[in-house]
Amino acid sequence: MTKKTKAVKSDFAKAQRTEKIMGYMLALPAVALLLAFTVYPLFYMFYRSLYDGSIITKNPKFVGMENYLALVESKDFHQTLTNTAYYTLVTVGITMVLAVLIAVWLNGKRNRKVNDIAQTFLFTPHIISMVSVSTLFLWLMDSNNGLFNAVLTALGFEPYSFLASPDTALFSVCIVSIWKGLGYYVLLIMAALQNIPTNVYEAAEMDDTPKWRTFFKITLPMISPTILFVSVVAVISSFKVFDSISVMTGGGPVNATNTLVYYIYDYAYKYGKPGQACAAGMVLLLCVVVVTYVQFLVGKKRVHYQ
Amino acid sequence: MSSISLKNVKKMYGNDTVIEGLNLEIKDGSFTVLVGPSGCGKSTTLRMITGLETVTEGDVFIDGVRVNDVAPGKRDISMVFQNYALYPTMSVKENIEFGLINKKIPKEERERRIKEVCEVVGLTEYLGRMPANLSGGQRQRVALARAMVKEPKVFMMDEPLSNLDAKLRAAMRVELINMHKRMGTTFVYVTHDQVEAMSMADDIVLMHKGKIIQQSSPAELYHNPNCIYTAQFVGSPQTNIIDGHLPEEIKLGFRPEKIKFREMEKEEGITLDATIATREMLGSEIIYSLDTKYGVLMCKSDVDMPVDSEVKIGVAYKHMYLFGADTYRIEFTDELKETISSVFGGARND
Repeated sequence: MTKKTKAVKSDFAKAQRTEKIMGYMLALPAVALLLAFTVYPLFYMFYRSLYDGSIITKNPKFVGMENYLALVESKDFHQTLTNTAYYTLVTVGITMVLAVLIAVWLNGKRNRKVNDIAQTFLFTPHIISMVSVSTLFLWLMDSNNGLFNAVLTALGFEPYSFLASPDTALFSVCIVSIWKGLGYYVLLIMAALQNIPTNVYEAAEMDDTPKWRTFFKITLPMISPTILFVSVVAVISSFKVFDSISVMTGGGPVNATNTLVYYIYDYAYKYGKPGQACAAGMVLLLCVVVVTYVQFLVGKKRVHYQ
Repeated sequence: MSSISLKNVKKMYGNDTVIEGLNLEIKDGSFTVLVGPSGCGKSTTLRMITGLETVTEGDVFIDGVRVNDVAPGKRDISMVFQNYALYPTMSVKENIEFGLINKKIPKEERERRIKEVCEVVGLTEYLGRMPANLSGGQRQRVALARAMVKEPKVFMMDEPLSNLDAKLRAAMRVELINMHKRMGTTFVYVTHDQVEAMSMADDIVLMHKGKIIQQSSPAELYHNPNCIYTAQFVGSPQTNIIDGHLPEEIKLGFRPEKIKFREMEKEEGITLDATIATREMLGSEIIYSLDTKYGVLMCKSDVDMPVDSEVKIGVAYKHMYLFGADTYRIEFTDELKETISSVFGGARND
């Protein structure tokens, strides 16, 4: 009897162990990829940011914080940081406001058919690659042959410089990102809106609540967790903007649209200074961490989780 | 306080007609319960009175004023929802205060009313809590407080107790009755539970398939049902119906609690032979199912009898209901009494 019990027990223990090992085996590919392509490069980036020399230099020279000091002193880099901040604020700000307003409108019960069509049109840009979108807008915004200026001139306005002038280039790039990303964020916010129980709105109706108050006091707080999530994602992706800058402006004119990632690319591959590029990469990492942390801090106070 | 009246109301969803030709009068200050099985149109009726649902045809009047085109918030009605529908992102106090702020009631007045209402429903110590941190019963109280604080003309409740456990539900029933007594406001209450309806209402509206079957006081509904549907809806176990033994498809009905374990005099009632098939001991009473040659009859009695015993049961004429072929109640004439006596009365003489 005891022998049998023992045998059963050890069988069970064996099965449990196999299951455990199986679990680790299944997680292994993902963990390996994460280590190879995320964790290792992160540490390598920090290590490399302390050295000088180009990519092909055999023995890079240790320079300590020199690369960072160069960044601090570089006017171009300051401009880059300002541009990135401006780009993020404008893109994320406008996108969030528009996304919430459009999602609320699309979520309304009236004009179902019109809403469905509008939603499709809004979402389509999301599935087009950024390079294609950028190329398209490069032509649309062209000073001489672009469609936008053709329309403006036809309507009797002065042609607008869009990408050609340092004053308007960055904002023009922002518009492209907003246009491309809006549909995706609208979709996420709509999903959150659909989770609000109808009863709550009916209770508000019984309480004779004005529309604007329903929006600010009920709708907005109830979708706040999604708004926080979406804004964090949007901010991070704005910090990483590259394709549109590369295709549309190349950081110009006069550095007006140079952003962090494009600066890193320039220094690593154009100017052959990977050390300084890595240092800039560390600054980008720091920015993302700090901003995201602040967003969650604010979120703790403002976001209502149920 | 106010009366409500629905005139020839019709409600369609797309091409489906859920309510047609509905006429309903709800008396000022009454506790009216709309009761019926799910899908009978009781909630839709309630929602049409509140204005959350539009009326396809016909008119809704509150205090004699046609309110078809008046927004729900302007009808001076409060509503308690089945799942409470509290504002999840607001504290208990903010939930209660929300409607008052919309009505631009001054702060001191708001504070006074909230204090008063919270003392009544026992929420004073929970004012700062969020709904997510309250129990079902406490949420129910917040929903009630939110409705009461507006001091409305009419109170609407859509199955407000169905999410509570049995004990709490019984307690809340008593509280609602007291609340109605104290406030004297018109209460319109929707439920599918006949016990809830019978215990709280002073006027019951029994609905079935979008139509009102009977509207009367609980006692009247119990003692004087106007059709088989009403007779069987109210009371548990449901009214026994013996069909197929009387001429002209007349059906004989009597309540389980009216069956006596004794023979009846010929003038008093009928006597049947029966075998006790099952026995459910409920404490104060016992529910039997009896096999007779007229089918299975349910019986509720405080007499204790073992299963399988052969018994004589008697039903008095005064406790019988007769229903015509259309299932509606018909008059109990001396002629029909004779017929019943000759059809069922034989058992005793056999």
